[in-house]
Amino acid sequence: MEEISDNTASQASDLCRVVKANEDIKKVIRISSGVNLVALNAMLTAKRSGERSRGFAVVSSELRVFSRKLEGAMTGLGALIFELVRDAAAMRKQHHERRHLLNIQARGQQMRELMEPVLARMDERMHKTGGEIGRDWHRLHIQLNRVLQLCETGGSLSRSAKIEAVYGGDMTATLKQVANQIEETVNEIFSTLKLLRTQLAE
Amino acid sequence: MKKLEYIYEDGSHKWAAVARDPEKPGFLIDTNEYLVLNGGEALLADPGGMEIFSAVFSAISAEVDPYTIRHLFASHQDPDVISSLALWLDFNPELKCYLSWLWSSFIPHFGGTAETFVAIPDEGMTIPLGNLALEAIPAHYLHSSGNFNLYDRKAKILFSGDVGAALLPSGEDGLFVENFDRHISHAQGFHRRWMGSNAAKLNWCERVSRLDIDMLCPQHGAIYRGEDVKRFIDWFAALDVGSGIKE
Repeated sequence: MEEISDNTASQASDLCRVVKANEDIKKVIRISSGVNLVALNAMLTAKRSGERSRGFAVVSSELRVFSRKLEGAMTGLGALIFELVRDAAAMRKQHHERRHLLNIQARGQQMRELMEPVLARMDERMHKTGGEIGRDWHRLHIQLNRVLQLCETGGSLSRSAKIEAVYGGDMTATLKQVANQIEETVNEIFSTLKLLRTQLAE
Repeated sequence: MKKLEYIYEDGSHKWAAVARDPEKPGFLIDTNEYLVLNGGEALLADPGGMEIFSAVFSAISAEVDPYTIRHLFASHQDPDVISSLALWLDFNPELKCYLSWLWSSFIPHFGGTAETFVAIPDEGMTIPLGNLALEAIPAHYLHSSGNFNLYDRKAKILFSGDVGAALLPSGEDGLFVENFDRHISHAQGFHRRWMGSNAAKLNWCERVSRLDIDMLCPQHGAIYRGEDVKRFIDWFAALDVGSGIKE
């Protein structure tokens, strides 16, 4: 019973942790939606530059593919965090109800006997919700790692864009500016997600 | 699952409705919760029952940082309005809950301490939120004897609690009233039985008809917009209420 109690108490406090993670993920989703615009801008700039920036055009096109994949991956991450918030809030409610039952149980032997089956049912429910929360966290970690891997691709693309910008002739400065914009956006996503992964591991 | 939808946006000044929950068990009445945001803080009007806390909390968190919610407003004392109070306070013990003075010693049975509650006097009061001054408008005896609506003069929105409520059949799940005549048939039985005083009703209709209202937002059912707001007030003024008394 004590083990269950300790375990459920920590799961009940998951809600504040989840809320914090949710805010970080929402921030990344907002930045990610900007990648598509950056990629589009890169493609248009490459088109204006003509033949000299064919390499840059190829990288920009890949960047658009990346932005679509990133958007899909972030939507998946958002859906997972939504489930986690819901399950953590449900656990909070069950924890609250359990506290009332424990108060009744503490009022003597008769109450203890009366409450025993009720608490057993409550613990079963909480175990079930706890299992859901554990699975939610696991799925979130997996998805987070997938997104981080994807961001590494984005990082490679931004480096390639910087290299290709050098061959842009009189458009080099503009292409470099776009390449820097790509790098900044990808880095911002990458660092926020890495920080989130560290926070979740604590 | 419940979803948060913005119904009014002007910069950081927003109103959002958390409405309709298709996953909710049929034996629970469906409720709308409203979130008012201004200047980095938020007020949640009629936060809902304990059973739907997780649905409401997750719907809000998907769009808004729940820590921005600093105030709760309970139109009255019903469990579908405020029985989730203890859970909201578990999440943020600093929350303040505005409610009629009449229920100051009743609502704490759902949770909270003396510091949690701000008692609204019968004549109403102003509730500051960011750069806004929301107004608690008396709606006593409609249906509760200590009952308030919440008016946002700038957004021209009146949160009307149970006034304007409709018990909609499945399939009628639009956020806004689209066909007043069809919609009002789902509101008639509710208003005739739940509302107890024709005098209170006429007093409310007279005062509210003087307010500039673009949206009338009830706790159950769809939101009235534009001309439908006036249509509703006129309809309600003409309705004979208190049908529980058989002569």
